[in-house]
Amino acid sequence: MNVFYWTVAGTASGLIIVGLWGVLTRKNILRIGLAFTIADTGVNLLLVWSGYLPGRTTPILNGDVPAAEAVSAVVDPLPQALVLTSIVIGVAVAALFVVVAVLASRRLGTADIRRMKELKW
Amino acid sequence: MIRTLFVLLVLLVLAAAATSVIPHLKMRTELDGAGLEYARRGLEDTGSINLVTAVIVAYRGLDTLGEVVVLFSAATSVMLILSLFPLGRGPTDPSFIVAHTARVLPAPIMLLAVYFTTHSHLSPGGGFPGGTIMASAFLLVMLGSSSTPAGSKILPALEALSGTTFGLLGLWGTMTLGQFLNNRVIGIGNPGYLVSAGIIPLVSLAIGVKVASEFSGIFAAFRKSGGNR
Repeated sequence: MNVFYWTVAGTASGLIIVGLWGVLTRKNILRIGLAFTIADTGVNLLLVWSGYLPGRTTPILNGDVPAAEAVSAVVDPLPQALVLTSIVIGVAVAALFVVVAVLASRRLGTADIRRMKELKW
Repeated sequence: MIRTLFVLLVLLVLAAAATSVIPHLKMRTELDGAGLEYARRGLEDTGSINLVTAVIVAYRGLDTLGEVVVLFSAATSVMLILSLFPLGRGPTDPSFIVAHTARVLPAPIMLLAVYFTTHSHLSPGGGFPGGTIMASAFLLVMLGSSSTPAGSKILPALEALSGTTFGLLGLWGTMTLGQFLNNRVIGIGNPGYLVSAGIIPLVSLAIGVKVASEFSGIFAAFRKSGGNR
């Protein structure tokens, strides 16, 4: 039973739940965007967590980790490389969200989604 | 009231689904699949002692090129939307603290960014974090002044130049070794030294400059969209 392992998994799941709760309950459009990025952080943390191996070190083969022992000494480098893609897509989505949110709130004079009637029917 | 109950229900179902997989989770104790191959052959293949960078820039370099394209299209859409629909509220004067911090901090921030970008094959870092830190120095300079940046041609030029460099470095591998973004085109040198790992440092530098110019372009577009005071 590795406490650190389960703590990270719990934190990641908690961030995702908190982010979804924010998306579903907040009324200010910018806060909804913020909640999306919180859920995004949880997903990224979960991805990195999936590559964790107990008692191992970072996948950098400097003097502390001889190249010959790499297979038994480092954590999985693949999820760490993949999470970079996830982070970059998250930033791109957040940037577009902020632009549309700021423009919508400036045009309608409010950031409250209950008063944005254009997309409702 | 009904809405709150519905939200709670959705979250509870999600939490229950997440908890139900816990008994089936097994902590991995050994490397397997692609990760095992990267750990076994990464240093020998690429000469980069940082295996994560070896995966990002050499093994999965094509994915990274796709990522740069995603970032590029996001930045372009932001600039396009902001130029079509101006925000129409000019910048306010920076506070005393911001104005004075903006004179001192950009240089050390830039130094950190250059270190991250050029040492990507030796230590944690790489083009994406390095470029983001570079753009944060630009943002600080912009926040520290009350004027709107003039229409600069340098940012788009840098962006085009670094993007082209990335593509050409990849094509170089196709021409000589028959493999896109093969980093051995100039030899991998002595692993662990600054000049080593073939074209990985060059590609990282190109990614860093591209990311920095894209983020700086987004910040400048927001500022310009507000117009002058």
